[in-house]
Amino acid sequence: MHLHDLTIKKFHEGLVGKQFSAAEITKAYFDRIAEKDLEINAYLTVAKDNAFLEAEKADIAVAKGEEVGWLAGVPLAIKDNILIEGLPATSGSKILENYKAAYDATVIAKLKSAKAVFLGKTNLDEFAMGSSTENSGFKKTKNPHDLERVPGGSSGGSAAAVAGHMALGALGSDTGGSVRQPASFCGVVGLKPTYGAVSRFGVAAMASSLDQIGPLARTVEDAAILFKGIAGQDRFDATSVAAEYGEELLSPSLEKIKTMTIGLPEEYFISGLDPAVAKAMDEVITTLTSLGVKFKKISLPNTKHALSCYYIIMPAEVSSNLARFDGIRYGHVSAVNRREHTLAALYKKNRSEGFGAEAKRRIILGTFVLSSGYYDAYYAKAQKVRTLIKQDFTNAFRDVDVILTPVSPTPAFKFGEKTDDPLAMYLSDIFTIPVNLAGVPAISIPAKVETGKLPIGFQLIGKHWREADMLAVGQYYEKAIGRTV
Amino acid sequence: MAEINKKELEHLADLARLELNPKEEEKFLKDLSGILNYFQELNEVNTDNVPPMNGGTESKNIFREDGDSVSPSFRDPKNIIEAFPEKHSRHLKVPSVFE
Repeated sequence: MHLHDLTIKKFHEGLVGKQFSAAEITKAYFDRIAEKDLEINAYLTVAKDNAFLEAEKADIAVAKGEEVGWLAGVPLAIKDNILIEGLPATSGSKILENYKAAYDATVIAKLKSAKAVFLGKTNLDEFAMGSSTENSGFKKTKNPHDLERVPGGSSGGSAAAVAGHMALGALGSDTGGSVRQPASFCGVVGLKPTYGAVSRFGVAAMASSLDQIGPLARTVEDAAILFKGIAGQDRFDATSVAAEYGEELLSPSLEKIKTMTIGLPEEYFISGLDPAVAKAMDEVITTLTSLGVKFKKISLPNTKHALSCYYIIMPAEVSSNLARFDGIRYGHVSAVNRREHTLAALYKKNRSEGFGAEAKRRIILGTFVLSSGYYDAYYAKAQKVRTLIKQDFTNAFRDVDVILTPVSPTPAFKFGEKTDDPLAMYLSDIFTIPVNLAGVPAISIPAKVETGKLPIGFQLIGKHWREADMLAVGQYYEKAIGRTV
Repeated sequence: MAEINKKELEHLADLARLELNPKEEEKFLKDLSGILNYFQELNEVNTDNVPPMNGGTESKNIFREDGDSVSPSFRDPKNIIEAFPEKHSRHLKVPSVFE
């Protein structure tokens, strides 16, 4: 079995059919990483010893004839802001360069009990703040489709690992598009679940009212398998909800899809779209129409305010969440003499040496919008605009089941193209941000593009708790275009 | 809506326990004024009588039993002590709090 042909589903069939062992495939991935990751730089840490122990557990279970689930033995890459006990968890930041996770995130505990294998930890923009992975404190990850271009971000390492056949699937986190935009740039599937569907216990918090953990995978079905494996209520994350996710996630009905209406919001099909993106969207609409899906033009009138709203609320929460990194209990400690500085001065030294430019910029911006005198004009205003953005989706979903949009206005851009201008970088997330503000689920799926062209993703947005609808449409799209891996 | 001047930036950095060097100050003043300028478009949105959305969920008052709050892998403090910058066996050393 060649790694390029594998999906989670095919892996599972091969594993239980004893065509190969989890240890053999794990070894094949490490061989691939040793060769390919020299140029891609997707991984910050590889965890060979742990991974082979985990693979062995899956192999023993299969040998004993135990019934194992879809994820048993599946080699995964994990974004480095998600904790795996005993492994580094840098969050892409120098301030956590030497930090080792003290416990497992809930998603990791769930995957461990499903006997999944963790190949290593992947690169990201520092604390998941960025759209190109260029803000990593450690290295630049390259797009496997074009080494001169970014993989997107912030889950750029996870997307590049899956796209480069260096993992069968991956986890990322998505606060404003950080799973979907790199999935689009790298030509893989990326799912942002409904806010509350997946526990965030053990993920480094960035903006708590927006963060969700989500899977990256080669197919929509694989993303559905991973999502089902990590979803569920958790007593350690009070925002998590006991939602019912049944078999329909994996076994969608074509008859049901034929009765669906997909909305096309006019605010997302704008003249500024890259022609290649516009063309890809046309192809997707044509394919879905041929399956019997109906389309309807809709409006999400407050879309144009989403970027401002997000860049007030998110930094406000960042400034609060990143206050915990002070170098006292763990993390970077400045070399200055402790006795010669006050506690406040030590905090400043540890933090200023540890955080990179984007983290500092957002902490300052967040501190500003929360400060007395400006709170009402910025933060309180943005919270009200957020209500309007959410209402847009509620209104639209009275008429349609799923909404289709581009993921990003352009395909992957070149290194350095947007690093000097934060606003230009922020604009690459303009189509993914409203989803996080509203808390609805969305998925990025590669559209069919000509061989040799850069990947382009389309986004399906679902109603709260209705991941099943967009996963169903996505699975049928892949069948229709004949994509098998 | 307002611009951030140098004095204000230094105050914000102090509140956030950050030190900015002159180069960072110059860059941030430029970046922040661009970003705040962009935010002005929010003035055109009528938010009279719109309630604020102050979280990602509408859930309220999630309770749990006392004593049931610690993750299984957290019950053993070994890893947490391990991460501490300065320690002597199980004793943790922190900088002086009082000046």
